[in-house]
Amino acid sequence: MENLEEKIKQADSLDALGKVRIELFGKKGAMATEFAKLKDVPGPEKKAFAEGLNRNKAHLQKIFDECYETLKKKEIEDLLKTEAIDVSLYNNLNQKGALHPVMETMDKIIDYFVALNFSIEDGPKVEDDFHNFEALNLPKNHPARDMQDTFFCKDGAVLRTHTSPVQIRTMLKQKPPIRMIAPGAVFRKDYDITHTPMFHQVEGLVVEGKGEVSFANLKSIMSDFLQHMFGEVEVRFRPSFFPFTEPSAEVDISCIFCQGEGCRVCSHTGWLEVLGCGIVDPNVFDAVKYKNVSGYAFGLGVERFAMLLHKIPDLRMLFEGDTRLLEQFR
Amino acid sequence: MIVTKSWLNNFIDLSEVSNETLYETLNSIGLEVDSITAHTIPEKIVIGKVLSCEKHPDADKLNVCQIDIGSGIRQIVCGAANVVDAQYVAVATIGAKLGEDFEIKHAKLRGVESEGMVCSASELGLPNIGEGIMILDESIGELIIGKNINEYEKIADTVIEIELTANRGDCLSVYGVARDLSAALNTPLKNLDYESQNTEKVGLARVAKLTVDGQIDASLQYAMANMKALHTSLLFSLRLAFINEFKEDDLANILKYITHTTGTILRAYDVSDIDLENDEKLIINAENQNGIINISINNKPSSQVGINQIEATKANEKSSKVLFETSYMRPTLLVDLVADNKLETDELYYNASRGSEPNLYMGINYLTYLFETYNECKLFDGTISVGEELEAKTITISTKEICQLIGNDIHKTEIMNILTALGCTVQSSVEEKFGVTIPSFRHDIENIQDITEEIVRILGINNIEAKPLTFTEVPRTNTTMQKYYAKKELRARATAASFDESVSYAFADKTLLEKYGFPLVKEELDIINPITADFNTLRTTILINLLQAVQRNVSYSRKSVALFEIGTIFNENREEKEMFSLVYSGQAQTEYVENSGKPNPINFDTFVRKLSSIIGNFELRASVQENALIHPYQSADIIVDGAICGFLTKVHPTVTDAFDIIETFVAEIDFNALLPKHINAHPISKFQGVYKDLSLVIDKNLSYTHLDTTIKGLNLPLLTKYYPVDIYEDESLAGQKSLTLRLFIQSLERTLNDKDIDSTVNAIIDTLQSEYGASLR
Repeated sequence: MENLEEKIKQADSLDALGKVRIELFGKKGAMATEFAKLKDVPGPEKKAFAEGLNRNKAHLQKIFDECYETLKKKEIEDLLKTEAIDVSLYNNLNQKGALHPVMETMDKIIDYFVALNFSIEDGPKVEDDFHNFEALNLPKNHPARDMQDTFFCKDGAVLRTHTSPVQIRTMLKQKPPIRMIAPGAVFRKDYDITHTPMFHQVEGLVVEGKGEVSFANLKSIMSDFLQHMFGEVEVRFRPSFFPFTEPSAEVDISCIFCQGEGCRVCSHTGWLEVLGCGIVDPNVFDAVKYKNVSGYAFGLGVERFAMLLHKIPDLRMLFEGDTRLLEQFR
Repeated sequence: MIVTKSWLNNFIDLSEVSNETLYETLNSIGLEVDSITAHTIPEKIVIGKVLSCEKHPDADKLNVCQIDIGSGIRQIVCGAANVVDAQYVAVATIGAKLGEDFEIKHAKLRGVESEGMVCSASELGLPNIGEGIMILDESIGELIIGKNINEYEKIADTVIEIELTANRGDCLSVYGVARDLSAALNTPLKNLDYESQNTEKVGLARVAKLTVDGQIDASLQYAMANMKALHTSLLFSLRLAFINEFKEDDLANILKYITHTTGTILRAYDVSDIDLENDEKLIINAENQNGIINISINNKPSSQVGINQIEATKANEKSSKVLFETSYMRPTLLVDLVADNKLETDELYYNASRGSEPNLYMGINYLTYLFETYNECKLFDGTISVGEELEAKTITISTKEICQLIGNDIHKTEIMNILTALGCTVQSSVEEKFGVTIPSFRHDIENIQDITEEIVRILGINNIEAKPLTFTEVPRTNTTMQKYYAKKELRARATAASFDESVSYAFADKTLLEKYGFPLVKEELDIINPITADFNTLRTTILINLLQAVQRNVSYSRKSVALFEIGTIFNENREEKEMFSLVYSGQAQTEYVENSGKPNPINFDTFVRKLSSIIGNFELRASVQENALIHPYQSADIIVDGAICGFLTKVHPTVTDAFDIIETFVAEIDFNALLPKHINAHPISKFQGVYKDLSLVIDKNLSYTHLDTTIKGLNLPLLTKYYPVDIYEDESLAGQKSLTLRLFIQSLERTLNDKDIDSTVNAIIDTLQSEYGASLR
């Protein structure tokens, strides 16, 4: 018996164990030989002999199973070892491309307004004088036209200088109430360290019945929006002038670089100018023949938001497909 | 617009107002402060009186001065030539620090002791006001020997630069800014009330006559003076230097000073040659020529009101007799005249076109005051004038409407007070509605919203309580919104396929577009005023921009560049279209251990697979594009839903050479073709299907497209899908190739039998045999 037990334990592989199994438990194996002896055992002892044999067989089987388990486990472990990989070689694969920071910022802006039931509207990049200027209370020769260096086409069309013409198009196409934003590219003839001939704006317009929309409403949504974009910042409103709104305001946030202490980015004022807004000028409503309405409008430059949010140092780099910048946003 | 605190002080008492309050107030009333600079003069720089001045014994250019500085007399060597004319000067005494490394110490200059330094304006951190030392005069206040210069607020002044909005011509003067501040700070405005005391005995009306031809839509007022020596005082010099307008000519300085102070348009004509002794008369004629008011003096064309003045008629400090003219013309009229007639304008036009001061007398009165107080010029008695009566605008406003526009309750009295402080005349009334008469200098106020803006400004927007709007719910999804979300999704997939998003200008270089065979926007529709030659037209493809971006990246040592852009392009007729464009250049993978740091360059297979993982299924057919990027053997039109919507190509080697880049693939697809489509589900079979491989020998040059189209045309009901899995060519096939098709055959209704399978397979073989001579291998 002990001899057999030893045999099992000596098997050092599943193959060897397989041979031992046949030797022990096969048709002509050791156990079979033992059981064959049963027929020669006299009647009264038969039962005890059989019990002894069964006990031995069960004992050997148990040893065998244990060895099998151990060897099986070892075999899998050996197999796994051959598949070993240094996973750290695969650190930072950088396989995903990046969304452009300006577009990603635009997404974030759009998300906010869509959640507040604003529609998204658009219009052509090549505009006519009426939509880009005239209807926005910027009559010909108005000094405020100087604020926007315009690209002109030979046939008198202009590249839109702002997204505001989409306000006019939407009002002419739809009826109040209107809640819309118009994101998109705009063009101004200006090219230096802080200006590019194309950039992106998001325009907003809300029109409801007369007496419904107030400056207090505008203040509320603009403050909330800026905190959505920039986190816990202070928001400051300054009266300003835009031909298409009256009263108008420019909106500043406390400088996110110096927390309002004053630094180079905010020209040591502690404030960053981020958007313009106001109550829609009655002349604009007249231009689209709206009566008995009130509304507010706002507009912002997406590049400025993106540069502030992500501390991007160079505006022009944004338009050069420079992967040294882009891959940082992967 | 630049003002200084002491200059504002002429009209409003700011002695109790800190610079901080001033900064905040200006900002809060919409006069945005660009910069505010408080000039401080270092300690120990005091007023000194030059007692004597002698040439230095050993140096020609130096003077040895004895200067009383209050605490004693000091000997100071001074190099400035103008010290000989000086009485009072700024002396930096021993211990004064004029800079971090510049402290005044005892010195010996060429053997002569010197105990201090006589300072120039720029040495004190002030703007330059001419050669030499700064000679002090009483214009800065009483000169007390030994008093610290820093105590003179007119020298140690605060300079404020305001960025004025286009509507606020009324603030293009120190007086105008003071007027606005007076309303905001609730401090009275000091008006200049000066009574002329020192006039020539002759009345102006006796020697000059003003005649008019036609209707004059402007106002004009004239005064005349016999000129004697003019002098620009230190105060004027400094202030003009602060606003960058200090000139050499004393008369030009005075004119500028008056316009900047009062906002009136003031011109000076040289009339020295008129001989009044001989009863000659000065005839000023104002003539309306299609709206332009031409002024001629003694038949000599002299100026166009508000627009320009003929150079030869301009008076200068040497003129002995000068005719002064103040004028006002409504800016709206003026801008149209100038634009419609393409008139040349001078520097006064800027003020005139934004709305100059309509109170002409203020300008003349200030001129009189300055001449009689600081100069020895005598004015002729009285003025002559002509002009339209500016009709005062009265606007009816309602407290309720103003409160609705603002969204807060504001008391009627408060509204009335603000408007009064701003110079409006408010008609008192117990009614909710009342009339407001707008002062003529505020041509920009036209309706109730303009008035509301004034209230908001003075009230301070930050004092308005924010309130969320109650709005009307309307479903607002529209095609633009759907397109936006489709675009967002597409962008997400493109980045997942390892492309970086690019944004480039919608401009292009005409020569490059032409060189690479892309269309040009028709000449008659193109931009007139491009910004640079690189951007001299609207782009008709995004691909050139992307190739340029690749080139730039390669120059930064990038070995693999994958970019995409969704942007607008234009066709010949300048119609806009949004395209989805991609470029993949260089290595197909990053360098890592697995590829031993030598990844293969991008190839057709990898590029199309990436494209498919972004835009889904498409067919490719031999390209019909004609641009020069196309590689004749690795290019294709992209077909989605049966229509060509774009193309892809390996970039032609001559082009990659020109851009100095390696293997590059590009694709440009109409974004609208990629919008999500409505999908109806097909029924799914419950029965087992079988795969069958079919190896066909066909002509070597036969494109798979043809087989595909033919098989599709058979409409075999059991043929669920099929695709090529192998292509084999060798010499034994002699000009032919073996193509293996894998078919999947399945029925929706039942388990297939051999007959079903055979009939499908045979139908394909038979057709391909008859159409293309295909045979089974």
